Amino acid sequence: MTLKKHFAFSLLLLCQFIWAQKDSITSLKEVLVSDSNLKKYSASQTVLKLNDSVINKNEALLTDLLNFNSTIYFKEYGRGMLSTVAFRGTTSSQTAVIWNGININSQMNGSTDFNTISGADYNSVSVKAGGGSVIYGSGAVGGTVHLNNDLAFYNRFENNLKLDYGSFNTIGVNYKTNISNEKWSAQIGFSKNSSTNDYKYLNRYTWKGEQRWNQNGQYDVITMSANLGYKFNAKNSLKLYTQTSNTDRNTSLISESETKSKYVNGFNRNLLEYDGNYGKFTANFKTAYIFENYQYYADNSLNQYTYGKTESFITKADFGYTIFKSTQVNGILDYNRTKGFGSGFGNNTREISSTAILVKQDFSKDWKNEFGVRKEFTDNYKSPVLLNLGSSYQFGKLYNLKLNLSRNFRIPTFNDLYWEEGGNPDLKPESSYQAEIGNVFTFKNISLTQTVYYIKITDLLRWVPGKNGIWIPQNTDKVNSYGAETLLSWKKQYGKNYFGANATYAYTVSKNEETDKQLFFVPFSKVTAAVSYSRSRISAYYQFLYNGFVYTQADNDPNQIVDPYTVSNIGIDYDFKLLSSFKLGFQVLNLWNENYESLENRPMPGRNFNMYLNLKF
Amino acid sequence: MKLTRLFLLAISVSLFVSCSNDDDDNTPKGAYDNGIFILNEGNSSGGSVSFASDDLSNFTADVYKTVNNGDFAGVYLQNIFFDGDKAYIIAGGSNVIDVVNRYTFKLIAKVETGLVNPRYGVAKDGKAYVTNANSFSSVTDDYIAIIDLATNKFESKIELNATANRILLENGKLYITEPYSNDKLLVVNPATKALETPLTIGYSGDTMEAKDGILYILRSPSATSSEIIKVKLADKSASKITIPQAQGRAGYLDVYNDKIYYTVNASTYAINVNATTAATTPIATTTLSANGYIYGFAVNNDKIFVSDGGDFGSNSKAFIYNLSGSLQKELTVGVGPNGFYFNN
Repeated sequence: MTLKKHFAFSLLLLCQFIWAQKDSITSLKEVLVSDSNLKKYSASQTVLKLNDSVINKNEALLTDLLNFNSTIYFKEYGRGMLSTVAFRGTTSSQTAVIWNGININSQMNGSTDFNTISGADYNSVSVKAGGGSVIYGSGAVGGTVHLNNDLAFYNRFENNLKLDYGSFNTIGVNYKTNISNEKWSAQIGFSKNSSTNDYKYLNRYTWKGEQRWNQNGQYDVITMSANLGYKFNAKNSLKLYTQTSNTDRNTSLISESETKSKYVNGFNRNLLEYDGNYGKFTANFKTAYIFENYQYYADNSLNQYTYGKTESFITKADFGYTIFKSTQVNGILDYNRTKGFGSGFGNNTREISSTAILVKQDFSKDWKNEFGVRKEFTDNYKSPVLLNLGSSYQFGKLYNLKLNLSRNFRIPTFNDLYWEEGGNPDLKPESSYQAEIGNVFTFKNISLTQTVYYIKITDLLRWVPGKNGIWIPQNTDKVNSYGAETLLSWKKQYGKNYFGANATYAYTVSKNEETDKQLFFVPFSKVTAAVSYSRSRISAYYQFLYNGFVYTQADNDPNQIVDPYTVSNIGIDYDFKLLSSFKLGFQVLNLWNENYESLENRPMPGRNFNMYLNLKF
Repeated sequence: MKLTRLFLLAISVSLFVSCSNDDDDNTPKGAYDNGIFILNEGNSSGGSVSFASDDLSNFTADVYKTVNNGDFAGVYLQNIFFDGDKAYIIAGGSNVIDVVNRYTFKLIAKVETGLVNPRYGVAKDGKAYVTNANSFSSVTDDYIAIIDLATNKFESKIELNATANRILLENGKLYITEPYSNDKLLVVNPATKALETPLTIGYSGDTMEAKDGILYILRSPSATSSEIIKVKLADKSASKITIPQAQGRAGYLDVYNDKIYYTVNASTYAINVNATTAATTPIATTTLSANGYIYGFAVNNDKIFVSDGGDFGSNSKAFIYNLSGSLQKELTVGVGPNGFYFNN
């Protein structure tokens, strides 16, 4: 019945909506992208790019953006709390998050918490499905999420301010300025997203009959970024990206009497990049310093905490050579030194160097091939030879066939190796083989991408209980994951009316080879859909998410599941055209007041509201 | 609507209970009379309680959830103790004690204050004495929370200035062990709330059982041989039985009839209460899961109950043997089964 309601509503809105991408103006100007390999070496895979107009329509934190717009599954410990992913049925540390070309997954736990990242800090967020370890290193197994800041070189002085105010005292301040001419380009941004987050749990009462609500769920995420580019001439340019962030969060309670705890984490990232382009030769040097830390207060009322910090120093040299017009080769050398220290894992340093060769060959405009190989060298573990092999063939205008094979890995983290007690220095990296076939159909305004994949993962790390209550990580499990992903997008203009629709569907089977059971917290199906309409000053959209049930236990006990849920959002905004743009918007989130949880005993909010002001000047 | 339904249920339950009181003793006082509760510690998403009838013919995987639909028992269920017609479930990770009717398992109240990482409890004269680990980083802040069982409210605490875990009541005294940071058997007089002179037994003292004025404590250090320590409570004189180190590290102990039953690795051994040496051959060896180890143990009703801790991410198993060690039943219970409690 509810599905019917959603369907009817979608139809209603199908006759309306927002033009997804209005940034065609900037794309005409010269833009230096931060991660050139993303475009260059992804012809045989699928990249879903979400630009700022999509980013602005979603809630601030990255979880919402990707949950409603991609096939990635999210597990959230309550609204705004720890949020981890499963992509193509893999684990949370098998999706790599890439910031301007640099892998930023935590060195301590291997994963990224998507509720510590605000989407508006980037020009675009791209989701690349499938293996990418040859280019992006550890964790690029299920896929990669790319956070990119692109610098444009033309005369402009633009400011963008977005102010949000919503239910549960949710406040968002996002400011970005772009100052550039043909030589210089600067982008400075600030974002602050906070909430008291004290929402009521729908239809849940304590044993005394009192309404339950989300206690101790406050969060505050602050990020500052500054990116600077300088073009010496047409051949040489220098770019500097910096970002600092702090997330101060309490951890919401699952029962009222629990001890209240809090988790504070932050990062500082700096990347200096030189680009040289000398005809057949190209050179790209990167040097980066990445710092991450956390403090966990088991009891808010006490000033006692456990902590961990890592500092990574990365240098990378990438030399390109065009052998023939059709064939380009890149040779990459990479050195990474990470120092970690913390209350849980002492003081350790890890050094990894690697070398990689990437080849891109375009037999014709329609037939493109890519090949990559990478090998890492380190004392810490035995590293497999990583591979990537892909081909893309365009049959006429209508159909594009893509094939990709890759070998990827995920290295053990500082926690896995050095945790006291239990850390296991003898671990191997998790390793995987992956094959995928992509079919892209393009017809007029419709684009349909259908991908099937198969992933075989061996040496999957799992912390297993040992005697004396000490848990030890071991390379125990083998997992076979296969499935299908469908991406659909459509846009059309009728006179002054712009319509758009996007949808994704993922079917995922991810089984432990030994037990033949589905991995816990991997849904068999997930659907997202969005329709949008805009006409001169008004734009509106409707979003829909269906998340299938997940098992919460490895034995797939049918009684231990998180129920499937369907969540919809609706939004509208009006541009008063006061400055160059002055939009006032209103959103209803969880429109149908669905009572749902993403993780057991951690209910998500019911219907709630947000209003925003988006100014460009 | 929900509240009125609850109220009606409460009335019907109380009617049922009061009616059944008029019947003779053998009539079950509720669906879960005459059986065994298996406490499943669970993981960070919560624990559960399983039930098996005495004859093992009826089994319910999650009694608490079945009866108290919608209520959350808590995280890391550690211990159950009984008083009168009530059962008290200690949820260590949630700082809560769920008070339920021991025959119907219907929730009556929750003790929600005065507890910080509560561990084990006993009841005496209308009061409960519950050990609390308090902050895990301190080895001096553990305490006993005293709870008034008439009001289910925290009343006061007895500071122990040491770590505390298992607690046992015998002859009006409380005896406490803690395996990680305490080499003493703590003795507390609940009447005066005073600590009496402790007895040094060595580190790694854990499970205890008292019978005929003797307290049996199992101690299992990691580097040296495990021991069964017998403390004569009248004069606190102690003797010990050494378990050969070659057998492995001991786990749990229980005393039933005239025998001491104890586990070493996956095996269960039995010796007479007045034996002076350890057993050489086990009476049963449990086939545990891949990384499993014995996590709960009890002997009662002429049966031996053993549980496998499992992987703490899947339902695990309980194994029931007769006293001569032949397997009677294998039950799939919840996550991390850590104890058996007999409702007779």
